[in-house]
Amino acid sequence: MTRRVSPILVILALLWLLVVAGLALLQPRVIALSTVTTVLQYSTILALVALGQALVILCGGAGIDISVGGMVSLAATAPLLFVKAGLPSLLIAPGCLLCGLALGIVNGLLVTRLRLLPLIATLATFYVYSGGAVALTAGAAQAGVPPLLLPWGRGAALGLPLPFLTLALPLFIATAVLLGWTSYGRWIYAMGFNERSARLVGIPVDRVRLIAYAASGMLAGCAALVSLAWLGSGRPNVGQDLELTSLTAAMLGGISILGGKGGVLGVLAAVLLLVTLQTGLLQLNVNSVWQVGIVGATLVLVLLIDNLALIWRTS
Amino acid sequence: MRRFLSPFGGRESLLAAGCLASGLVFAYLSPYFATADNLFTVARNSNELLLIGLGMTLLLGVGGIDVSVGVAMGLAAIAVGRLLLAGAPPIVAALAGPIVGLALGFVTASVVVLGRIPAIVATLGLFGVYRAAIFLALGGSWLSGLPIGLTNILTANVLGAPLSLFVVAIAYLAVFVAMRFTPFGAHLLASGHSEAKARLFGVPVRRTLIAAYVVSGGLCGVAATFYVATYRNVEMTIGGSLALEAIAAVVLGGTAVTGGRLSLLGTILGVALLRLLQNGLLLVGVPSLWQTVVTGLLLLLVLGIETLGGSQLLGRVTSAFATRPARGAAR
Repeated sequence: MTRRVSPILVILALLWLLVVAGLALLQPRVIALSTVTTVLQYSTILALVALGQALVILCGGAGIDISVGGMVSLAATAPLLFVKAGLPSLLIAPGCLLCGLALGIVNGLLVTRLRLLPLIATLATFYVYSGGAVALTAGAAQAGVPPLLLPWGRGAALGLPLPFLTLALPLFIATAVLLGWTSYGRWIYAMGFNERSARLVGIPVDRVRLIAYAASGMLAGCAALVSLAWLGSGRPNVGQDLELTSLTAAMLGGISILGGKGGVLGVLAAVLLLVTLQTGLLQLNVNSVWQVGIVGATLVLVLLIDNLALIWRTS
Repeated sequence: MRRFLSPFGGRESLLAAGCLASGLVFAYLSPYFATADNLFTVARNSNELLLIGLGMTLLLGVGGIDVSVGVAMGLAAIAVGRLLLAGAPPIVAALAGPIVGLALGFVTASVVVLGRIPAIVATLGLFGVYRAAIFLALGGSWLSGLPIGLTNILTANVLGAPLSLFVVAIAYLAVFVAMRFTPFGAHLLASGHSEAKARLFGVPVRRTLIAAYVVSGGLCGVAATFYVATYRNVEMTIGGSLALEAIAAVVLGGTAVTGGRLSLLGTILGVALLRLLQNGLLLVGVPSLWQTVVTGLLLLLVLGIETLGGSQLLGRVTSAFATRPARGAAR
């Protein structure tokens, strides 16, 4: 937790203003309350996944979770397959969360018990999870979402979509409190900053890290649930590209890739910027493939500017 | 450190045994698997992965990584394809691949090394950018029906084997010689082992890193030429999963992701095992959708076995049947 505002966040805010101003100029009718709802609706899934990604990276030890998209895809389809096999459809909501949690725990065990490098471990599970989601469903969207979920997934209150208001926002605030004001949070920063010292002072590093991966899985499960309630079906490709966008959001939000530095509210800001950018492009009828390109370019450029500014100042 | 010099370490034995075992199982299950025709197809389909894997071996060995290699190959392939369609002579088109590849490798190198952005983050960003660029360059349609001139050259018989085989072999040999007999090899492994220490010893770390990224880019370009020659079309999704496959193959081969240790033979065997499994499963009737799952499980299996100490046992068993390589002499 740094009290100083990170330069990346300033760049982000400026970029966001630029995007909004550009939109207002090119498509004035876009500036409306309904756009806010749309942006937040699209943000919810990314926000949840990016929160998990941020936690994993914060824990340090080269922590990264490439498998987030795969976890979302599998957690969105596997419960529907179970329902198809005869389980009551009310179990879908807890099913998504449990499925995500289980997948996250697998990641955590691979990293903490087998001591695999996180990049490689989650790369392998990314294959298994995302490939599994596609293979189990033969690539087809799965029906069977209980209609009970839809009003929650598509509703809004005060212009804020319900999934964002009831799930993403509380989780972000809870995590911010957890990181800033509990010993568990201080442990995360300590072990991310210097793992050896953290071990020496008796922080249960492996357990905390396992919990972080499990949390990332659980959050991916939440994102899967949101996608079900919003889209009304379980799509095996719903998590596509989330590893890139969630990593981008975490980096742009000021999380250091080395761990131990950054806060989650910056990540939320970064998510909102990215989604505003994407929705804006959508309004201007720019093809969706461009969005991936713009996300990538934003990532590289903002980090370059940040680094060059640092080099400039120190030399 | 110079583990790649002793041809059969524990990991290589494990992979060779894996290739042999899966080969026997598939040959038993499918009468078509062990035919010369099929094995030739597997070899031909491995070319791009072998070349990109070679670059990835160097990158991981030096402590870097590049997840944009697949889409970089895609961009280079578009250049090759467009030139062929415009009626350029096949040789010119073939050279366009490596040239575009080298240029893209230089872009990656400047962002990672000069811009000081962590390699995994920077190349994920470039992955997005390149994919959008592929979309832009193709304009929403495929390049298809490319002239056959380039294909004829690369499949032309030289001493009883296709020319492409020789190109791959020369690439591996060149890297082997550079690693074994020039300072580059020592610099690369030292930088990968510990950047700070290598710098203290006077190793030109940045130059070594840049060289690794540029060489990897060039190899992607060569792979692009091969791709166009083999498939004679370029589709929108080209190279999307190739980088991850290459990382999987290289890690399977025993190259340390944290740098400082690499195995060229391991990469070859890793690619062979991946491609044999994919081909065999397809022939046995497993839908191709399961291929990525198998790749992931294989990666976990091999790394898990090694962590749990199984590979030492297996290495001991296999080396009992082989004449022990002069491991001590190589040092």
